[in-house]
Amino acid sequence: MLQKVITEKRIILLVDMDAFFASVEQQVNPALRGKPVAVTGGGTRTVVTTSSYEARKFGVKTGMNTYEALQACPHLIIVKGDHARYTHTCAELKKIYQQFTPLVEIYSVDEAFLDVTTTEHLFGGAVEIGKRIKTEIKRQFGISASVGIGPNKLIAKLAADISKPDGLRWIKEEEVPEVLEDLPVEALWGIGKRIARRLEALGIKTCGELGRAPVGVLRSHFGIMGEHLKMMGEGIHNGEVTGDEGDGEVKSVGHSMTFPVDLWKRPEISRELLRLSEMVGARTRRYELRGRVVSLTVRYRSFETFTRRRRLECSTNDTRRIYRAALSILDGIRLREPVRLLGVTLSELENIRGQRPLFHEEQRREDLLRSMDDLNQRFGTLTVTWGACINPLRHPGVISPAWRPSGIRKSL
Amino acid sequence: MIIRVEREELQKKLGNIQNIVEKKSTMPILSHFLLSVGEASTISATDLETAIREPINIIERDEEGELCIPARKLFEIVREVDGEIKMESDGHEWIKVSAGRSSFRIACMNPEEFPKWPGLDGKTRLSLPAGRLHEMIEKTLFSAGESDTRYTLNSLLFHLRPDRGLFTVVGTDGHRLAEIDEPFEDLPSEEIKVIIPRKSASELRRFLTEDEENVEITITEKHLVFTVGGINFLVRLIDGTYPEYEQVIPKGNEKRLEIAREGFIKTLRRVSVISKDRNSPVKINISSGLMTVNSSDPDLGEARDELEINYEGESLSLGFNARYLLEALNSMEAEKVIFELQEPLTPTLLREEGNERFLTVIMPLRI
Repeated sequence: MLQKVITEKRIILLVDMDAFFASVEQQVNPALRGKPVAVTGGGTRTVVTTSSYEARKFGVKTGMNTYEALQACPHLIIVKGDHARYTHTCAELKKIYQQFTPLVEIYSVDEAFLDVTTTEHLFGGAVEIGKRIKTEIKRQFGISASVGIGPNKLIAKLAADISKPDGLRWIKEEEVPEVLEDLPVEALWGIGKRIARRLEALGIKTCGELGRAPVGVLRSHFGIMGEHLKMMGEGIHNGEVTGDEGDGEVKSVGHSMTFPVDLWKRPEISRELLRLSEMVGARTRRYELRGRVVSLTVRYRSFETFTRRRRLECSTNDTRRIYRAALSILDGIRLREPVRLLGVTLSELENIRGQRPLFHEEQRREDLLRSMDDLNQRFGTLTVTWGACINPLRHPGVISPAWRPSGIRKSL
Repeated sequence: MIIRVEREELQKKLGNIQNIVEKKSTMPILSHFLLSVGEASTISATDLETAIREPINIIERDEEGELCIPARKLFEIVREVDGEIKMESDGHEWIKVSAGRSSFRIACMNPEEFPKWPGLDGKTRLSLPAGRLHEMIEKTLFSAGESDTRYTLNSLLFHLRPDRGLFTVVGTDGHRLAEIDEPFEDLPSEEIKVIIPRKSASELRRFLTEDEENVEITITEKHLVFTVGGINFLVRLIDGTYPEYEQVIPKGNEKRLEIAREGFIKTLRRVSVISKDRNSPVKINISSGLMTVNSSDPDLGEARDELEINYEGESLSLGFNARYLLEALNSMEAEKVIFELQEPLTPTLLREEGNERFLTVIMPLRI
């Protein structure tokens, strides 16, 4: 495992692609360059996931349906998103980042954190790294990116956000208080409209006010998150750039999926849970792991998202048991809205190191799963699968926030 | 009702039931015990899976009756006070406990609510020395499952095999197995398999310490009752099918090794040092006259040890969870053990030299 040198001051880069999906489409099809373009989800979804900066000038926004978007910009070109194209580009981008540091965390399909604390001197400093990454992305893919540099992930993210598009901004540690003082709290990564509204009710509008707020008050309104919020207001964030899998132990295995149409009916939801459970089970088995905690994440149409966990009596990597646990969590939830995204995660992992079962029935079960896994590994995920998974909702049009080039996330 | 009882007697009898009395407050009645005062007075406690009824010597009573008393609290009181204990009740809601100059008033429950001891239409009975049954549990319990979703594995199997004249106890967690036999001449004519929960088997052990005493086992459709030294220990049977354990015991493994037990234990313990968790994977190579044991961990390093064995034949490499081997070896006493192997991924048999009554089966790891 790569040793992380603990130093007082870290230097974190966030590389954030500008209008990623739209930029990729404009790059692939030169006829779209310089024109207002909106990318929608695949399938029957007609919601804008990304729009080019040309379209944004006319007020086209993410989340609009195509009708609304065309109202705002009648000559808008609507392109159906191509999932595979974006994930491929993301994997290629990662190779660029890894030239500068091994500590690269692909945070989402269009954002990556780089910890360059111990490598920046090799390349002439963090700003130089940022410039070189931007140049390289432009050269290889013809698209622009914004780079934020800061003493932690929170500030790096903020720096990128305020420099967009095609920007580069370094917020040094000593500048942090000044930058945050009058900044609205919503500008911070992790503070959404809801929390902002609750903070406003306490008379807190800016990050500066948040940082000065008495921790007791925040704690009484937000629980343990209160302390975290205060630290955010002060520009403090302790999250590490988790680097790549392979250096360190895998902590959880999870998959999530946004559906082409929101799901409401129980049989549809169960079927998708089985598919996700199979994906999680197959991956856990490939790593010779078992997990004891199954988590189910549900995102409603309104984007409200929550996760519920269930601890099993003993650890497993069997699709059926993961599925049963996910279903029993679902049984405990009264769904209030149609479901946009579902995610299944297995955590508290332990290594099983190839222990073969003693009884024939269990051996046959293990052999069956193993054969399925081998076939799917060779011919593609879910080539051989459970009867109930057949005829699924194809082509998810949106890449989920949990997507990783490797499909496996190290943090919980 | 007024009764008097020796402090030591009450402390001993209450001590016996403490593990069975429910500590969680899900069903308050289960944290109480039932004191039945009469010609032959008894104490009863249950967690609905296991129940125990033991005689208690009451020095003096003014009438017969029943009380349902908090087991933990009375035990704590009895441990703290000196001298003979007097208990007075007026109705079933309160009792006054006094000893010397100390007195306590504790809330009780209605004895009518205490779970009834089931009627036992006992048709099958066995009798064997208590120490013998103790050994049979001790040598199989370590292999039983602990919290497996296949709940029938979190248990011991009591198997009466009249065709072979054997009473057999088996424990398995699905990766390893231990079986011990006791020859019986007058077994009932039909085969009987009953499954008893792990916790009950473990608790029963404490009443099986007297070698000279015999324990009577009564088997009914839903329960098993062990009677030893006047104590009745009742176990509710697990309803389910135990796996066909006989099928996985290898019969014709051709590679037969003789190994010094102590030496094997030491080697395994040494090599397991290089491992992150208690399930240390080890790789065992056998060749004529020699066994080498290796372990390695990408973050920690490697270990290697070797020991002489009595073996002539082909070489073989296979992987094991060292803990499984160690627990099996520690359950044995003989100087030498016999290890019978076949292929890298077929069940292996480990037993004591000269003891055909006890065997363990361990499934290897894929390496």
